[in-house]
Amino acid sequence: MQRYSGFGLVKHAFGHHENWERQWRNPVPKKRYDVIIVGGGGHGLATAYYLAKEFGVKNVAVVEKGWLGGGNTARNTTIVRSNYLWDEAGRLYNHSLDLWKGLSQDLNYNVMFSQRGVLNLGHTLQDMRDIQRRVHANRLNGIDSEVVTPQQIKEIEPALDISSRARYPIMGASWQKSAGVARHDAVAWGFARGADALGVDLLQNTEVTGFKIRDGKVLGVHTNRGDIEAHTVGCVAAGNSGVLANMAGIKLPLESHPLQALVSEPLKPILNTVTMSNHVHGYISQSDKGDLVIGAGIDGYLGYGQRGSYPTIEHTLQAIVEMFPMFSRVRMNRQWGGIVDTCPDACPILSKTAIKGLYFNCGWGTGGFKATPGSGHVFAASLAKGEMHPIAAPFSIDRFHTGALIDEHGAAGVAH
Amino acid sequence: MSNLSVSNVREFNTQPEGNPLVESPLAWSYRHHPAPRGNGQHAGVVLREKALLGHLVLRGGAIALDEAVRQTLGISLPSKPNALAFDDNGERSIQWISPDEWLVIVPGGEEFALESALRKALGDAHASIVNASGGQTVLTLSGDNAREVLMKSTSYDVHPSAFPVGKGVTTVFAKATVILRRPSETHWELVVRRSFADYCYRWLLDASAEYGIDTQ
Amino acid sequence: MFYIFCPYCKEHREEEEFHARGQAHLMRPADPDNTTDEEWGDYLFFRNNPRGIHHEMWVHSVGCRKFFNITRNTVTYEILETYPMGEQPTITADIPSVRHEQGVQAADGGWQTVGARPESKALNEETSS
Ligand SMILES: Cc1cc2nc3c(=O)[nH]c(=O)nc-3n(C[C@H](O)[C@H](O)[C@H](O)COP(=O)(O)OP(=O)(O)OC[C@H]3O[C@@H](n4cnc5c(N)ncnc54)[C@H](O)[C@@H]3O)c2cc1C
Ligand SMILES: [Zn+2]
Repeated sequence: MQRYSGFGLVKHAFGHHENWERQWRNPVPKKRYDVIIVGGGGHGLATAYYLAKEFGVKNVAVVEKGWLGGGNTARNTTIVRSNYLWDEAGRLYNHSLDLWKGLSQDLNYNVMFSQRGVLNLGHTLQDMRDIQRRVHANRLNGIDSEVVTPQQIKEIEPALDISSRARYPIMGASWQKSAGVARHDAVAWGFARGADALGVDLLQNTEVTGFKIRDGKVLGVHTNRGDIEAHTVGCVAAGNSGVLANMAGIKLPLESHPLQALVSEPLKPILNTVTMSNHVHGYISQSDKGDLVIGAGIDGYLGYGQRGSYPTIEHTLQAIVEMFPMFSRVRMNRQWGGIVDTCPDACPILSKTAIKGLYFNCGWGTGGFKATPGSGHVFAASLAKGEMHPIAAPFSIDRFHTGALIDEHGAAGVAH
Repeated sequence: MSNLSVSNVREFNTQPEGNPLVESPLAWSYRHHPAPRGNGQHAGVVLREKALLGHLVLRGGAIALDEAVRQTLGISLPSKPNALAFDDNGERSIQWISPDEWLVIVPGGEEFALESALRKALGDAHASIVNASGGQTVLTLSGDNAREVLMKSTSYDVHPSAFPVGKGVTTVFAKATVILRRPSETHWELVVRRSFADYCYRWLLDASAEYGIDTQ
Repeated sequence: MFYIFCPYCKEHREEEEFHARGQAHLMRPADPDNTTDEEWGDYLFFRNNPRGIHHEMWVHSVGCRKFFNITRNTVTYEILETYPMGEQPTITADIPSVRHEQGVQAADGGWQTVGARPESKALNEETSS
C-alpha cells in the first residue's frame, strides 16, 4: 500500500497526479474464505479491517452488491457523539469515540474527524429534566457531557435564536465537547484501503442472494457471481438486513424506513458546532465546504426506495428555521435518502443467530455512523473468537424475548 | 353501566343563567390583531366570524341518527361522505364527518334544547352527543379572491368541479386542522378549533392582505 | 408524495392528512398470561419488513380519523389498494403476477434503485492483481 504524506503529495504534483496507485484491488472472488462480511459500508469494512489487523484473520471477503460505502455510510449527516443514556450504549459509543480520535493516524487516511462539539437543545421543562438525567448518567460513565444555559449556548453557537419570542424557546442544552463530525466517504475508503492492504478481498457488484446452510450451520453464500464458502458470515447490511435474514429463514425485529438529509449551497463559516433538537425535531451542522448539512426524522412508513417524502422535508426545514431564523432564505442544493434499519429500542443488534456461524450487525437505524470504528472493532473480535465481545454482548437479538431492552429513544430522539 | 343509554345520561346546559359576558375564541385576536386598514380599494376577500353558534357532535349508527335528526331538525342526515345539508332557511346544518360522526351547527342558544330533544328521540339507541360549542368557531370567507386565499392555505382541491356547494371536508389548513365547507356559491366556511383560532385568523389576514381584506 | 384513497371518505387525499401506523392484521395473543416469552416478544417487536408487497395500517388523522389498511410496494411506493379495517387484502405477494413485478426480491442481482449503478465502468472490470 502506498502511504500518504505531505511529501508524497508534492512528489506526485510533479507527475501531474497521474501516477497514484489504485487504493484497492478489484479481485475475483475466491472459492473459500475464513470469514465473509456481507455489506461493504463503513461497518462492514471496519469489521474486515480489524479482523485482519488485530485478530490475525486475513482470509476475509467483503461482499458488496453496489459500490463500497454507497449505502447509508455515504448518505448520513456524519454526527459523531457518545452521550447516550444507558451504560451499555455509553460503553459502545464511547469505545467508538476513542477509536475515532486516532483513526486518521491508524488508517494513514484523513477522515477529517473534527471535534467541534454537539449541542442537544431542551425547549421544555421535561426536556431539561431528561437532559439533566442523561448528562448525570454520562458523567458516571466517564463521558464528557455537561448541561449548559442559554447564555452559554449563545457563546457556543451565536447564530441560534435563544430569545423568549421563539415558538419553542431554548431553555438549555446538553453539550458534549469531544463530539463532532467526520467525512463519511473517507471513513469507508480509509477502512477499505487498510483492509485491502492486509489481504482482504473487497468484492464490489457482488450481491448475496442466499445462504448455504446445512444442519443449522452456515457454509457460505450464494451470489450473482457464484457461490463462496465460509463457516463464519457476518451480515452488516443496514436497511437490507431484514431481506438477508429472510433468506436465512430468521426474523429480525427491524423495520426499514426512509431517512433523508439535505444540504444547502455553500456559505461562509457561520456554524461552530452541531446543533440538534429533539423537540422541534431537526439538526444541523456546517461542512468544511460550507454547506449546511441538515437532517431530521424518518418517514413513518416502510420504504426501500432511498428517497424521502416532501412533508418530511418541509417539516425539517421548519425546525431549522425555528432554531436559526436567519437561514430562512438559504437555498437548498441537494436532497437524498437512505434506508435505515430501525430497532424497537433504538439500539443496534450485534448478535449470533440460531444458525451457527451466522452473525448480524444491524439495527443502527438513524445513528450508526458515529459507531463505525467501534462497531467494526467489537464485531471483528466476536467473529474471530466465536464469542460476542463484552461490549457487544448486551446487544443480542435475545433481548427482544428476555425483555432486557436498552431504551435509547431519548438520546436518539432526532434521527442522527 | 349497561342501562346507560344516550337518553338517560345527565345533561348539562353550558349556557349559564343571567347574562354573563361571553367572548368568541377570537376575542383576543380582535384586540391584538386588527385587520389591515383598507386603503379604500376594493376588498378581494371578506372575512367574518359566525361567533357563538351551537355545535353538537353526533356519533352513532346512521339509521338511528337519521330518524332522530329528521324528527328534531327536519333535515335528513347526509349519508354520503363529505356531504353538508342545511335546513330551509340555511341556519341549521348537518355535516358528515366520518362514517359514524356528524357535526350539527345551529344558532347559538338552541343547542341545549336540541340536545335534549335528540336524546329523547334516540331513546335506547347506541349513540353519543357532545356539545362542542365552546371548542370551536366558524369563519366565513367570500369575495372575488376567497378561493385564491384557500389555494394558498390548503392542499385540498377547492376548484368548483372538485368542491361543489354542499360539500364539506376535514383537512389540513396552514398545517392546522379545519373543517372546510361550501354552503353557497359565494361563501366558504371554516370550522376552526378554539386553540387554532387565533393562528388561523392571523394566517387568513396575512394570506388575504395582497387582495385587500374586509373584516367588518 | 402519496395520494391516498381513504376507503371511508371515498376520495383521494394528500399524504399530509395521514399517518402510517405499521404492519396491518396483527393479532394480540388471545391469552397473554399464557404465552411464552418467545410468542410475546414476537408479537411486540417482530414485524414483516419486506422489500415489495406490504400490508400496513394507516390513519386518516386529519380527516375522518379512521384507521384503514393499505397494500403498498415498499420499493416502488405504489399503492395497490386500500381497504377498511376488518377486511382482507385482495392483492398479496403470493399472486404470481405480483411476484413477477416484484423482481427486486428475486435473486437476480437486481439493483436496489435507480441511481444505484456504478459510476464508472472501471469498477466492473475484473482484475486479479
Ligand atoms: C440521511 C441519514 C442521516 C444519518 N445521519 C447520521 C448521523 O448524523 N450520525 C450517525 O451516527 N449516523 C447517521 N446515520 C446512520 C448511519 O448512516 C448508518 O447507521 C451507518 O452508516 C450504517 O453503516 P453500515 O455500514 O452498517 O450500512 P451501509 O453503509 O448502508 O452499508 C450496508 C451495505 O450493505 C450492502 N448490501 C445490502 N444488501 C446486500 C446484499 N444482499 N449483498 C451484498 N451487499 C448488500 C449495501 O449495498 C450497503 O452498501 C444517518 C443515516 C441516514 C440515511
Ligand atoms: Zn377518511
